[in-house]
Amino acid sequence: MINTVEKIYFDGDFVCYKTTYQDSSVSLVPLKTDNTDYQAIQEWSAIEGNNIIDPGA
Amino acid sequence: MAITRIGNIASTIPDDSIQNAKFSNIVQSKNIIINGDMNIAQRGTSTASITSSSYNTVDRWKNTFSSLGTWTISQDTDVPTGQGFAKSLKYDCTTADGSPSAGDFCNLRQIVEGQNLQYLKVGTSSAQSLTASFWVKTNKTGTYICTLNTSGRFISKSYSISSSNTWTKISITFPGDTSGTMANSNANGLEIFFWLGAGSTFTSGTLQTSWGSVTNADYAVGQVNLADSTDNNFWITGIQLEAGTSASDFEFLPYDVNLNRCLRYFYFDDCDLFMYTNRVSDTPRAGQKQFPIPMRAAPTFTSISSTEISNTAMTDSSRFMVTFRQSGSDGDVPRYNSYNFSSEL
Repeated sequence: MINTVEKIYFDGDFVCYKTTYQDSSVSLVPLKTDNTDYQAIQEWSAIEGNNIIDPGA
Repeated sequence: MAITRIGNIASTIPDDSIQNAKFSNIVQSKNIIINGDMNIAQRGTSTASITSSSYNTVDRWKNTFSSLGTWTISQDTDVPTGQGFAKSLKYDCTTADGSPSAGDFCNLRQIVEGQNLQYLKVGTSSAQSLTASFWVKTNKTGTYICTLNTSGRFISKSYSISSSNTWTKISITFPGDTSGTMANSNANGLEIFFWLGAGSTFTSGTLQTSWGSVTNADYAVGQVNLADSTDNNFWITGIQLEAGTSASDFEFLPYDVNLNRCLRYFYFDDCDLFMYTNRVSDTPRAGQKQFPIPMRAAPTFTSISSTEISNTAMTDSSRFMVTFRQSGSDGDVPRYNSYNFSSEL
């Protein structure tokens, strides 16, 4: 279960998501549509109240 | 003499034909299921307090839950006698739920890539039948449900476990799906479910024993509730799903072949991943990791024994490798002591 999602930037580019789950584990998720964790982030962010943290580049 | 004949026959077969035959025997597995004998468990051999969907213990098997009990799931050595199996997958209910809410459920499933299943000819008049066979053991006797699920369609069949705590071989044949579709890609093509419990959302209709569109109420009609007591345990092994209308003997694969099939979806590594650097200031460093075999898709990276992921970015990933870049404090050589990559379906 996803707890938070944050955009990760490197050298000004948005390169991946950092996802924190409710069991406190943390993963880096590539920006690839056939990755099922990426798909889960899109579904999670589509739910009202869930917001992806964007710290900016 | 037999030896002479073997020699004569071998001498008439080109070397590359022999190699192709050997290779063919390895890669053209009749079993659609990967790790059906539960031998590979890169994530560990036991996970406790499971209440939500996740991949735990044995590779490729997803435990799918929605608020139905609490479970310890483990790779176990209780196996049917004399069948050649060494491991099974065990469900141990540790917190019971005797009155599931409507939407509660619990099942074990494996998801298979569509590009591996085009020979089933789904959506044509020649669609292949499928036969599932497996061994089960439980104290909770009664009716259980096995489901095949494709894109927007499913079929369910029931089976009965009548002898408590006795290994029983089950065989179920499903007709081919002449009306469905299956994408020829690395995405979800077919799922097999082994239901262990379900609320009325999935049990209040009529069991759908022919291929048809999804009606939740028809999924698992008659399924017993394995979560109704902490005394309940359920073991399963030897899962095979094959084209045709009869179950053949389980196809045992060499350990390395089985592991390689699993590595396409999950790769655990407890070797240190170093990121070498010449930095003396805050210049980013980079490290690369190449996967043992190409993964199904660009994977998710999870660091287990290091917190250094906090200032790491995965800047490039592919089916072949992933590249990390990291900023950090002076003097550190960033590393991850234990980590995994997942491209599960």
